Amino acid sequence: MNNGRILLIGVRRGWAEHLQFLRNRREMVGGLLGTVVMFVVMVRWQGGADVPGTHASKAVLMAAGFLAFCVSSVALMNLPMVITADREQGALLRLRTIPGGLAAYLVGRAVAVLSQLGTYVVVMLTAGLMFTRLTLPTAPADWLTLVWVLGLGVMAVVPLGAALGALLPGPRNAASVLSLPMTGLLIISGVLFPVTSLPEPVQWVAQAFPLYWQGLGLRSVFLPHSMLAAEIGHSWRPLQTAAVLATWSLGGMILASWLLRRTTRRESGTRLTERQQRLAARSGY
Amino acid sequence: MGGPVISTRGLRMRYGRTEVLHGVDLEVHAGEVVALLGPNGAGKTTTIEILEGLRARSAGEVEVLGVDPDNGGDCWRGRLGIVLQNWRDHPRWRVRQLLAHVAEFYPHPRDPDELLAALGLGAQAEQTIERLSGGQRRRLDVALGIVGRPELLFLDEPTAGFDPEARREFHELVERLARVEGMTILLTTHDLAEAERLADRIAVLVDGAVLVFGTHAELTARVRADSQVRWSEQGVPRTANTPDPSALVWELHQRLGGPVPDLEIRRPSLEESYLGLVTERNAA
Repeated sequence: MNNGRILLIGVRRGWAEHLQFLRNRREMVGGLLGTVVMFVVMVRWQGGADVPGTHASKAVLMAAGFLAFCVSSVALMNLPMVITADREQGALLRLRTIPGGLAAYLVGRAVAVLSQLGTYVVVMLTAGLMFTRLTLPTAPADWLTLVWVLGLGVMAVVPLGAALGALLPGPRNAASVLSLPMTGLLIISGVLFPVTSLPEPVQWVAQAFPLYWQGLGLRSVFLPHSMLAAEIGHSWRPLQTAAVLATWSLGGMILASWLLRRTTRRESGTRLTERQQRLAARSGY
Repeated sequence: MGGPVISTRGLRMRYGRTEVLHGVDLEVHAGEVVALLGPNGAGKTTTIEILEGLRARSAGEVEVLGVDPDNGGDCWRGRLGIVLQNWRDHPRWRVRQLLAHVAEFYPHPRDPDELLAALGLGAQAEQTIERLSGGQRRRLDVALGIVGRPELLFLDEPTAGFDPEARREFHELVERLARVEGMTILLTTHDLAEAERLADRIAVLVDGAVLVFGTHAELTARVRADSQVRWSEQGVPRTANTPDPSALVWELHQRLGGPVPDLEIRRPSLEESYLGLVTERNAA
């Protein structure tokens, strides 16, 4: 079995799963539309004025922030949940019994999550264009920034999400464990209002995570320079952004490849049975 | 070629300090259907998972298709078909879609449509998998297990939770695979009737060791419990248990000097013998 063939099977697998996501009404309504509705409500409620001390629109700040938040939440919530579901239902185990199956699984997961991210980004950008004064960049340099900030931002969180998926015991668990920290990050990371209005220790916590940096990079594309008055250090700090995102990406990849390999190696029918019995006992049927 | 398809010698498995397999010896030849029969917790699934290369053993020699399962690569994997107990995976995929996807991994797969038709899933081809019934789901699992034309098929408790109708259909399917395709099959079951019906040879696994391994007839001879002999002596009913009822009756004839009143001999069924074997071991 050659690698090119496995790669192709994996890509087709990922695309099939992406189409299933697009057809799934619950995920569309709960995930994608839910985020758009939340965004529109926040914009209508809070987005009317400028960011204090700047000539930057609060609504556009939120549009850039929600774009960053979508990337983080797809990678750090949705991805771990599908990975734990694949484990709990036995998809990982089945692929383990197929020659080349695990490699194709990993390719497929990557393709599916990237396609899902692409959908979210396009939908959120469209929502921004429709409901705020957000405009697409005109200068080629801004487009370049948009591409690398999104690309590196995705690379920073996807491996991390895969690692979380390998660690967490089950999809329900994953949802309850992850939603609180994600909401916390949403509040402190400058998605809804500038981080500089928060106490300095909180700012440090926010700066430890990729969400803040991705948001900062996107604001540098979509907001005027007058916004800098409300940013830490009055600078877009592109080098630091690249460095932090690249570090998360590298660390995540090392962690994810180790954890995923460990998880799939341990996967077996008896483990599957144990998990399903525990699940059945909990849900009481 | 010509050697056994599966051979284990002194196979042991420990989880922490509990040993669940204490030296399992098995030999399965090409074209055979072998059942691993035993009560729940006897170590059937552990044994089969070691053979499938999904679990590393603690000790012993194991060869499956001439390869140690711990070092089995993709090429070796491609020659196996595996059907596990509790698969609920790929719920959103369509039946035909998943089968065609899995077929792609193998060099000479079966045609997915023909396979679905052969397993009676033709009408469900475009249905999502989460909407299949238990029996349909299981047949799909088998389809996925054999789509790559394996030489050796593992079935772990294939009919657990089936109604009698689904069970009969499944038995016919396994018989077809074995007789028509000449596939070597190792299946686990806790149901003696199922083992008797499907297997050429049965290995009785109790408490992590193989107690008996042989054909149905050999098994019957080896595990047969004592027969019960009843008769009357001076109007009093008497009962005796003996491995050799014929000898006892001969002795009675001589002692009573003629026909034995109310003579009755009950030979235990294989099932009773098997249950006796299992409970005896578990009590010990």
